[in-house]
Amino acid sequence: MDQLYTFLEAEGVDAALLAGVRAFRERYPAEPENLPRVPDPEYYYYGRNTWELALAAILAGKNLLLAGPKATGKNVLSENLGALFGRPVWNVSFHINTDAAYLVGTDTYDGTKVSFRPGPIWLCAAKGGFGILDEINMAKNEALAVLHAALDFRRSLDVPGYEKIDLRPETRFIATMNYGYAGTRDLNEALTSRFAVLDMPVITEDNLQKLISRRYPTISLKIRDQLVKLYGELERKAESAEISDAALDLRGLLDAIALMEQGLRSGSALDMCIVNKSFDAYERGLIRDVIAARVPTDLTRADVFPA
Amino acid sequence: MIKKNYTGSARRARNIIWNAAGRYDFDPPFMAFFSNGHPDQYFNMVAGLVQKWLDMDRLWDFFQSYGGDRRADEFDDYLWLGLENCVYEKELPERPILEALRCERGERFFAEQQQLSRQQMEYQSMPVLTQQEYRWAGVCGRRGPLLTPREKRIAEALRFSGALDTDGVLDAMRSFLQGFFRFTPGESAETRHRATPLAKLLFKHEHRRRDRLLVRVGTGEGDHPKAMQQRHAGLGRHVGPGPEDEAYVRAVFGRCCLTDSEMRILENELCVGDDGLCRLWVTRGESTDTQDRDALEVRESASRQKKLNEAFRSEHATMVAGSVRALSTRIDTIFSSCFKHLPEPARAGRIRPEAAYRLPVLNDAAVFLKDGEETEPELCVDLLLDASQSRMHSQEVLATEGYIIARSLEKLRIPVRVCAFRSIRSYTVLEILKDWKQSDCEGLMRYFAGGWNRDGLAVETLGRLDDGAVLRDRQHILLVLTDGSPNDSTPLPSSGLLLEREYEGEAAVRSAQDAVRRLREKGVRVGAVFHGNTSHLENVHRIYGHAYVRIQKANQLAQGVSDLLLMLLRELRQD
Repeated sequence: MDQLYTFLEAEGVDAALLAGVRAFRERYPAEPENLPRVPDPEYYYYGRNTWELALAAILAGKNLLLAGPKATGKNVLSENLGALFGRPVWNVSFHINTDAAYLVGTDTYDGTKVSFRPGPIWLCAAKGGFGILDEINMAKNEALAVLHAALDFRRSLDVPGYEKIDLRPETRFIATMNYGYAGTRDLNEALTSRFAVLDMPVITEDNLQKLISRRYPTISLKIRDQLVKLYGELERKAESAEISDAALDLRGLLDAIALMEQGLRSGSALDMCIVNKSFDAYERGLIRDVIAARVPTDLTRADVFPA
Repeated sequence: MIKKNYTGSARRARNIIWNAAGRYDFDPPFMAFFSNGHPDQYFNMVAGLVQKWLDMDRLWDFFQSYGGDRRADEFDDYLWLGLENCVYEKELPERPILEALRCERGERFFAEQQQLSRQQMEYQSMPVLTQQEYRWAGVCGRRGPLLTPREKRIAEALRFSGALDTDGVLDAMRSFLQGFFRFTPGESAETRHRATPLAKLLFKHEHRRRDRLLVRVGTGEGDHPKAMQQRHAGLGRHVGPGPEDEAYVRAVFGRCCLTDSEMRILENELCVGDDGLCRLWVTRGESTDTQDRDALEVRESASRQKKLNEAFRSEHATMVAGSVRALSTRIDTIFSSCFKHLPEPARAGRIRPEAAYRLPVLNDAAVFLKDGEETEPELCVDLLLDASQSRMHSQEVLATEGYIIARSLEKLRIPVRVCAFRSIRSYTVLEILKDWKQSDCEGLMRYFAGGWNRDGLAVETLGRLDDGAVLRDRQHILLVLTDGSPNDSTPLPSSGLLLEREYEGEAAVRSAQDAVRRLREKGVRVGAVFHGNTSHLENVHRIYGHAYVRIQKANQLAQGVSDLLLMLLRELRQD
């Protein structure tokens, strides 16, 4: 946490907000049995303004909905928030058949009697965790109605046939959603109104440079800058609908650098992690043209990591 | 080197240019291609970089100002060499790979030069070639040609500095033409006068390419696929199909993909009753040798139409990609919401009160219900496109829309087959444009309109084709894209004392209605997308019942198809 805290200080995040985070942590220290659930993030989220908005919402006791296109760091920020506030995290990936039983809990037989097996939302509420509701708009709105009382001022969860529990004060829910993915739908107003909505911006060139440098400190600056520009060019191409956003994959770009670090030539690494994400042969040609205009295909590990 | 017109690889070339320019909001006036038609990566980048660093509109005005001169092509090539150097110097610090790409382009120049035939060499301007050779030799570190003092001065003048702005470049271009060719762009009124029409001609080339989308084959009358009228001339003119008709159908549409005995069985089953005077032909479009001039002419028209279809799809690539995404998402959502997982007994989940006694009595813990495994009924979709003459004015649109539907279903891994149907010389021809197992949908581009439409027979034939493993355990959905006006030159057979009646109007509708009913009785879900005149709406209602949607414009097809699928799937769920 200290590293993340220092990172945010260096990023220039408002000191009062950071002081608020410290106070929160002191007031709600993580229980030892929950420590394994407190994230230890591999990547840090870059974007001072977004950090400040998110911290303000969490400190004010609000639940957060991170909405934005692909590769804007929604999950990175969610994990980072869990780590910064030192809270155990329950990650729930939503899908079309997500239902109330899956979220809250269900009956089971423990050998002697029918008992309640808690779901992630119940655990999160009872243990004061951060619930990350990933791709919340993949689920049907009816399935999410069970969350309404937990997400609004009532802050309680009533399980039919069992007791009603109140959410611990440190419990927060952070939902993510992407409007563009296939199978997603619009959230209904009742649910949306229970979140503070943060429109996630696309990562800036400057922040992407920092992100790469932090993860790969020995990367050649020249190559790093070209990769960042390449990402921007793919982004523009996807925005103009010349290609789908399959190849617009920040994880893919970072993975490609990892493969180069392992000794793969740049062409093969970018093919595996970016070009081949598209399953359309013509589109792959367009993506290769963009790469060819930025990065040579025969860069070795020594070229990319001269140190 | 630089062409002023668009060729087949235009979209890729445009993308390279847009990417280099860093914006996508302009239509590039120049694109570069190699002699094999592939886009020239480096020179397209140069064209894009000119957009990025300089004011292309002003440069374009300059290029137009000498368009009427006989040396215009030569000037173009010279000036692009100058621009290449200028934008290369400007961009290099930001894009270090440019040096390698430039060198690669140089090597490609020398490789291409060696492959040029003598005739191709004769078409080239030797002074330009010398300058290009000199430029690329310098770039690649090769030994260049020996230059005369004038040629050296030209080479020097064509090194437009990277420090120049648009005004500087225009000055350099102007002084180059004045200094070496005593040509002042825009000076001569005659030149100006000639330049404008020529520039128009260049554009016209492009316009003509577009206009060709509007060129229609098939006018006039007669029972001929490329010249079909939509009204019957009168009674009693039908003559049963003979060997020459079969030869004609084979020559035009390709060999039949069923064996003789299969065809016999199919015709014995289907060509009865209202269709007693008809024959069938099922083809995949595999062409055969023929000398029949009529057939060759139709094949040539079909081939032209294929190119038009492809060009149309390429022109609307963005719309096509967006529609495929939208439609596949809609269908996916429909499937997800129509078919829930069925509950099955489990040891945890929602308790079943009626089975709770089993816990203490039988010690059976499986008294709960949980969502079972995937229970979505497996589907396969047949798309039947009316390819009769009435579709003549929207062939490209229909081919593209069919492509969008097929691609969307393929994307969701729903097997889809697409066929076009038309009737000609008493043969109802079912042309398979995309078969179940084909994953690419390029065959849709073969769609062309011509002939009559005997809807009932086509629908029934499609339902009767053996689909082997594909249909096993799957619900078969048949979507017909129709104008609701069945119409054929082969009449309904005479019955009793009645004379033959034309296959049109009321009789044709009733025949199609019976065919659809018979197919539904076999468990096939049949629905129609109606795209036609309001006067035929009643026909569609009678033939397909409520299982149809009407679209007014072709771009509503995605919406129409998803609505229709939803309707059919709900029916399926209720059964």
